[in-house]
Amino acid sequence: MTKIELRNITKSFGNFTANNDISFCIAENSVHCIVGENGAGKSTLMNILFGMIKPDEGEIIISGSPVTFASPHDAIAKKIGMVHQHFMLIDDFTVLENVILGDEPVKGISLNIASARDKLKELISKYDLEINLDEKISNLSISIQQKVEILKLLYRDSDLLIFDEPTAVLSPIEVNSFFEMVRNFKNTGKTVIVITHKLNEVKEIADKVSVLRKGNLVFETDNVSGGIDISEISSAIIGGAELLTIKSKDNQAKSGQIIVRLENISMTSNKRKCLNGLSLSLFAGEIHGIAGVEGNGQAELADIVCGIEKDFEGTAEMPAERASIVPDDRLKKGLIMEFTIGENFALKRKGNSYHSEKELLNSSEKVINSYEVHAPGPEVKLGSLSGGNQQKVVVAREISSGNEVIVFSHPTRGVDINAELFIHSQIVNERNNGKAILLISSDIEELLSLSDRLSVIYKGKLVRTYETEELSNALNNSEENSDGKIHLVNQLGKLMTGVSH
Amino acid sequence: MKSNFLSVFLSLAFTFIILTILIVVIGKDPLEVYSLIYTDVFTSGYGIGQTLFKATPLIFIACGLAVCFHASLFNIGAEGQLNAGSFVIALTALQLDSLPLVLAIAISAVAGFTAAGIVGLIPAIIKVKKGVSEVITTIMMNFVILALINYLMVDFFAVKSTLRTVSIGDKNMLGKASDIFPFFEGSSLNITFVASLVTAFLVYVLIYKSTFGYKLRAVGFNEVASKYIGIKVSKVVIASFFIGAGIASFAGLNFIFGYKGYYELGFSNNIGFTAIAVALLAKNNPIGIIFSSILFAALDYGGLAVNQLIPKEVMLVVQGLIILSILSSDSIVRNFYTKKGLV
Repeated sequence: MTKIELRNITKSFGNFTANNDISFCIAENSVHCIVGENGAGKSTLMNILFGMIKPDEGEIIISGSPVTFASPHDAIAKKIGMVHQHFMLIDDFTVLENVILGDEPVKGISLNIASARDKLKELISKYDLEINLDEKISNLSISIQQKVEILKLLYRDSDLLIFDEPTAVLSPIEVNSFFEMVRNFKNTGKTVIVITHKLNEVKEIADKVSVLRKGNLVFETDNVSGGIDISEISSAIIGGAELLTIKSKDNQAKSGQIIVRLENISMTSNKRKCLNGLSLSLFAGEIHGIAGVEGNGQAELADIVCGIEKDFEGTAEMPAERASIVPDDRLKKGLIMEFTIGENFALKRKGNSYHSEKELLNSSEKVINSYEVHAPGPEVKLGSLSGGNQQKVVVAREISSGNEVIVFSHPTRGVDINAELFIHSQIVNERNNGKAILLISSDIEELLSLSDRLSVIYKGKLVRTYETEELSNALNNSEENSDGKIHLVNQLGKLMTGVSH
Repeated sequence: MKSNFLSVFLSLAFTFIILTILIVVIGKDPLEVYSLIYTDVFTSGYGIGQTLFKATPLIFIACGLAVCFHASLFNIGAEGQLNAGSFVIALTALQLDSLPLVLAIAISAVAGFTAAGIVGLIPAIIKVKKGVSEVITTIMMNFVILALINYLMVDFFAVKSTLRTVSIGDKNMLGKASDIFPFFEGSSLNITFVASLVTAFLVYVLIYKSTFGYKLRAVGFNEVASKYIGIKVSKVVIASFFIGAGIASFAGLNFIFGYKGYYELGFSNNIGFTAIAVALLAKNNPIGIIFSSILFAALDYGGLAVNQLIPKEVMLVVQGLIILSILSSDSIVRNFYTKKGLV
C-alpha cells in the first residue's frame, strides 16, 4: 500500500532547477533509499517532503489525500519526522530536555516531566536504543546523539522517518547497529526513507531505490532480497550514458617535472580521520583528476595543496608560492559578494597601493570582455550575477594570478552548460600553458574528459591511479565500441563507493 | 548608499520623536527646550566653537573604530586604548619642552599612537592565536589599562593630591582658534580639529581606496573566502587593531596640547564608548563620522545648555536611542528594499 506519493514535484532556485517533475511512491512499511550525487536534488526533495521548502509545482499525497505543508510543524502533525545530517540538539541540555523541547507535556502551568519520562523509557526499551535520559548531549558520542534525534521522532509518534546521510558520521560497527534499528522500525510498521550515496548500504537495507541525477528521477528499482545490481545504480548516478558527448581535451599532455609531491599524508579534524596515508604527485602541464564520493578527504586535500591547511602529518613538497584555488563553494569561499569584479581582483594584489574608481572599473571591464562574463555593467556587485558568471569570475581571478599550481574543486558545480564549457576550456588552456592542475570533482564526465591522470579517493586515501595511457586506451576504445568507457565508469563507481579495491 | 541615508534619517526621526515625548513627560515644553539648544549651540560663535572642540576627539576615536569595524572586529576597548595613548602623549611632551612645538607634537603623537596600538594588539593577538572573541578581551582591557594608569599616576606621575600630570606649560600649547578667528569667542576649538578632518580623510582613503582597505573589508564581509583568496587574515586583524587603537590616541592631542596642557585621569569621560555610537551612526564611513561626531558633540554641549530645564543625562538617553534605532532601522530599510527588489 502506498504511504506517500509525490506527484510532479518541481522546484527551482533562480535559473537552477533542483527538482524537475519528480514523481514517485513510497510503499507503507518499507525502506526506500534515495541516492544521487551531491547537488542531484535529494535534500531539496526531502526538505519539500518535510515542509521546509515549498515546491513550485506538484503535490504530496498522504494515504490518499493531498496535503500542503506550510512548515515542518505541519509535516510533524502528519507524523513525518526527519533526522538531518547535522543534528539539531542543544549541547547543554539533557537527552530528556532535548527530546521534549518544542512538545513539552504540561500539567497546569508546570512541566509534566514524569509522564514524558515514562513514555520515553517505554520507547527506549521497545527499540533497544540504550540511552540514558539524564545525560547531557555534550557527553554523548555522535552515534548516541543520532539515537537521541531518532528518539525525538519516536516521541512525536512519527511513522515516516527520513534520514539524511545517516551513516556518514558512523563507524562500521555503528552502521550495522543503525541498520538493525531501521529493520526494527520496519518490523513495527514504520516507513523509512534513507538518503545516501553508499551503494553497499543500499543493497543491504533498501526495499526500493530511486536515483536522482541533476534534479531528475532517472532510475528506480526494487531490491528483492538483496539481489540489486549495484553497477546499474552507480552508472545511473553518474550518468554513464552521457559520457560520449564531451571531448574538449586535446591530448597533448606535456610531461613536465614534479611540482607537488605529497607523501603519506594523514590528517585528523574534529576527531575524524579525514586523510589516511595519502600520496600524490602533480606534474607541470598535467591535469590530475580526483574522483570520489564527497567527504572522503577531497576538501582537506585541496586545502593542503593550496597551503591553507598546515596541520597534517607526512611530507609535502610544494612551491613556495601559494597555489591558486577555485574552491568548491563560491558563495562561502570564492568571492566577496559585496564587491565588484574589479574589487575582487584587487584582493590578489601584493603590497599596498591606491585604487582609483577608474582603475577598478577598467579591471572589471577587462574581465567581463575577456572571460565572457555576463554582467549588467562593470560597477555591479558580484552578488547580483548568476552562479555561472560568478564562477567565471573566480576562475578568471585564480588563473590570472599566474601561480604554478591551480586547484579546481568542483569547478562547474551548479553552473549552466555554457559556463561549464568555458571553464573546461580554461582548465585545458592552463594545462597547455604548463600549469600543474589538480581537478577535484564528483562529475565523472568532467573528470574523464579533462584528466591526464585520474585517481580515486576513498576514505582519505588514493586507492587507484589511472595513468595517462590506461585512461586513453579505455576512452579510445569507446569510439568504435563504448564498452571500454562503460567498463571504466563501472570500475570507478565501485572504487568510489568502496565496493571493490 | 541610498539605503544608508534612509536608515540614518529614520533613526534620527525616531529618536527625535521619543525625545519630544520624553521632554513632555518630564513636564517641560519641547519647543522651549529645542529653541534653547538651537540658540545656544548654533547661533553663537562660542557654541559652534565648543561643539567642534567636543567633536574633535570623537572624530579621531570613531575613525579608529571604523578601521576595526570594517574588518568585523568589534573593538569595545577604545576607552582604554585612548587613555594609554594620551597618557604617553603627555609624558612624552613633558620631556620635549625644549623642542619646537611642531616637532614635540609629532613625536608625542607617534609615541601615543604606538602605546595605544600596543594596547590594541593584545586582544588582536589573543583572538588570532586562541580564537577568543575581541568583544570580551577589549572590554576587560579597559579595566586593566585604566587601573594601570591609575597606579602609575598615583605612585609616580601625578601632581600631589590631584589626578593629573605636570602641565607642559603655556608656551608648549597650541593656540585657540579664536586667537585668529574672533568669531569663536574664546571657545576651546583648536587646530587639532583640522587634524581630525585630515585623519578622517586619510582613513577614508585607507578603507575605501587602498589594497589594504579592500582586504580589510573582505575579511569583514567573508573571512573564509578571504582565506581562500590568499589574504593573510591574521595579519589583517592585527594590523587593523594596531591602526584603529593608535588613531584613538590622537584624542589626547586635543586635550593635552589644545586644552589643558596635562593628562588627567578620567578626562575621557567614556568618550571611547560614545565613539562606538558615532561610528555606528555613520555606518563606519569616516566622512560620515565627521558629521555624526558633530551631531553628538552638539547634543553633548546642548545638554549642558538646557541643564536648567531638563537633566543633561537626557542626552545620554538620546545617544542610546540613536544606537538602538540605527541597528533596527537597518534591517527595516533592508527588508523594504529587498521587497521592492531594489537590492
